[in-house]
Amino acid sequence: MKHSRGWSWILWVIVVILIASSCAQPAAPAKEAAPAKEAAPAAKAAPEEVELVVWAEANNVEHWRADGPVKAAEKVTDYKLKVTGVNDDAGWGDYKKKFTLAADAGEAPDIILSGHEDVPVWANAGYIVQFDECRNKYPEFNDVIDSLWSSVTWQGKLWGVPQDTEARPMFFNKTKLKEMGWTDEQIAELPERIKTGDFTLDDMIATAKEAIAKGVVEPGYGYWHRPRKGGDFLQYYAAYGGRLYDPKQDKLVVTKDALEKWYAFQRRVVEEGITPENFIGTEWSIWHDTVSHGKVLFWNGGIWQWADWAANYVQDLGGQDYLFSFVGYALQPSGIKGKPGVTLSHPLVYMITSEKASGKHNQDAACALLAKTTTPEINTLHAVGSTHLGILKSQAKYPDYVSDRFLSDTLYMLDYNFYQPNHVMYGPYFDIVWEFMVEAENGTRSPAEAAEAAVQQLQSELGEYLIVE
Amino acid sequence: MSEDIARMGQCKGPNRLLDHLRRAWGPFLFMAPATILVLIFFLAPVIIIIGISLTNMSSATGFKNWAWIGLQNYGKIFRNPKSGTIFRNTVFYVLVTLSLFNVGMALVVALLTTHVPRRGGFLFRSLWLLPRITPSVVYIMMWNYIAADAPYGILNRHLLTPLGVKPTNWVPAQPWAFVILTNGFIGASFGMIIFSSAIESIPRDYMIAALVDGCSLWQRIRYVILPMIRWPLLFVTTYQTLSLLTSFEYILLLTDGQFNTEVWSLWAYHRALNNYWGNFQWGFGAALATILVIVGIVMAVVYMRYFQFTELVQEPRIEAL
Repeated sequence: MKHSRGWSWILWVIVVILIASSCAQPAAPAKEAAPAKEAAPAAKAAPEEVELVVWAEANNVEHWRADGPVKAAEKVTDYKLKVTGVNDDAGWGDYKKKFTLAADAGEAPDIILSGHEDVPVWANAGYIVQFDECRNKYPEFNDVIDSLWSSVTWQGKLWGVPQDTEARPMFFNKTKLKEMGWTDEQIAELPERIKTGDFTLDDMIATAKEAIAKGVVEPGYGYWHRPRKGGDFLQYYAAYGGRLYDPKQDKLVVTKDALEKWYAFQRRVVEEGITPENFIGTEWSIWHDTVSHGKVLFWNGGIWQWADWAANYVQDLGGQDYLFSFVGYALQPSGIKGKPGVTLSHPLVYMITSEKASGKHNQDAACALLAKTTTPEINTLHAVGSTHLGILKSQAKYPDYVSDRFLSDTLYMLDYNFYQPNHVMYGPYFDIVWEFMVEAENGTRSPAEAAEAAVQQLQSELGEYLIVE
Repeated sequence: MSEDIARMGQCKGPNRLLDHLRRAWGPFLFMAPATILVLIFFLAPVIIIIGISLTNMSSATGFKNWAWIGLQNYGKIFRNPKSGTIFRNTVFYVLVTLSLFNVGMALVVALLTTHVPRRGGFLFRSLWLLPRITPSVVYIMMWNYIAADAPYGILNRHLLTPLGVKPTNWVPAQPWAFVILTNGFIGASFGMIIFSSAIESIPRDYMIAALVDGCSLWQRIRYVILPMIRWPLLFVTTYQTLSLLTSFEYILLLTDGQFNTEVWSLWAYHRALNNYWGNFQWGFGAALATILVIVGIVMAVVYMRYFQFTELVQEPRIEAL
């Protein structure tokens, strides 16, 4: 018995040590910097090779997000760089999780590309470094469109440089409108009417209903929004005057009236029969296939989908030429007569990771690399290849960019765009408004009930971070 | 006694001591690897999760800049308007999937396949295992295409539309039915294997005796088979309850918790590890997970008492004689 007690005592000591060591991990000091040979050389003469890793979330047509910096490394003269680009298409949630865990383990890449909304979260955690010094160091950054810098600004400082941006137009089927009796002039005028607020969401619903009544499109094929979760839906919240963020107080905002009107719109399109019942959750491949083959009258998408449709859905029919033959595009119509249409832009941004996150002291070399990546030569490869809008002033005159009809046609939309807020609690905020939007659209709750429940939920989870107006 | 030991000591010396040590410490040494694994991989994570649940740890704080906040995360859970709905969802999901499929259908399939020619039963059970060995993403994608709206969905196109049923996207239309079916078909295969082997191992004498006594099939099941597979029944029920409480893989892939199908474990996952725009709230998610651990422990204890676990593990009386 005595021996048993002694043995179990030893076992308990082992357990306590194991648990203590596990618990102590959070407080462990940051990983030491890499050996001096990896440090950025101060002098330009005889530069040592610096190895940089770039992570990007990208599908097959967006590969320049990571491959752009690899190509740009050839132009860097301050450092001799060996750049490894990693394109990851696992999905945003998994991608961000991978980075967060890597950063805490001190094994993050030197440059991370992600949505601008990650700036406050990762800056607060110390994973990324301020970008102001880098921005002032290289003249290439002066070419970035001024308004885009606000997407990487948090607490008055810059934390990255935009890599791409986009618009989320309301696409419309010109052929079907013509079948309804619209003239070519009327069709050509539609984007302008939406821009000035003459053609609103109410008009869109009425037109879609008419198309179904005339047998031009099948019931349920008058208007299709995105089939799954995404920021696009916030355009309707904005279209009804909703506010997301108060920069003065650095708080998220929910506008009750706009929220209810947005939810009512989502339910109305189903009740009017222009969107199918139980539409949310439709497979993406089905959605892409249907809209790109001209079966829907109005649909809400992103300009990056244009390249995807051309390459992966209608290539056999002529790719972009086929799309141009029947697809028109405009801003998202406003919900209020006379108020201009809107579009949501979601710039993806390159951020330089901290020494603590990457375990390396390569921040200066990473800055030099990003300067050479932020050029019309490199950025246009991505913009044209994936139909994303450029981020540089000079791209408006850059031949390869200007010759792309779709990008040139949609560039004006940046004048009507808005961004999601850079706030640490935006993730939970969006999840909540989305969840109750689904309930409203599916008819589980009335729009008013859903809006009321969403506000309660926001207050419960966000507390002091929220303003209800 | 002490004299005997002293004499033995004189005769055998160090051998006696080794023998003694072996007897006293041997069982512990044999159990040590498993014990250490359990402590490291089962007990330590629970303690760590409880610790994290008392902090404000999130992506925004990282693993190094967090602070202790006491029971605030638990307060947030109890004040949260969603907690009641998600708790009810979880109970519904576990109860229905467990009773209809993981135990119910598993038992039915096991009984049927052990009462048909052996080769046929084996083939049927093998087929039933196919979903379990199919990658979960492929399995759910298949279900999505079965349930998709016309003209894509197999269900709409080939079965319901010819019958005059209005086509729709069936997963959002009947989310719980699909959540339970997708989980249940896979979950049933586990119990099916355990029950089949348990039924097969019942001595044939019992069955023959029951037949000689004129028992019907139902009576054989009720009075011979079920009492003799009580232990596997307890094991499958307990294990599958705990498994369903913490599993969310198929719900995540099928609905992602939309259409009011969020269960407690998925809620914890969404808050702690995967939400659309980032900022994972590890502290809040850990508090949700801790509540799940407590519910799991309570359920396990209830099952042990209900099924009279101590009696089940008593030494067999025949061998004792």
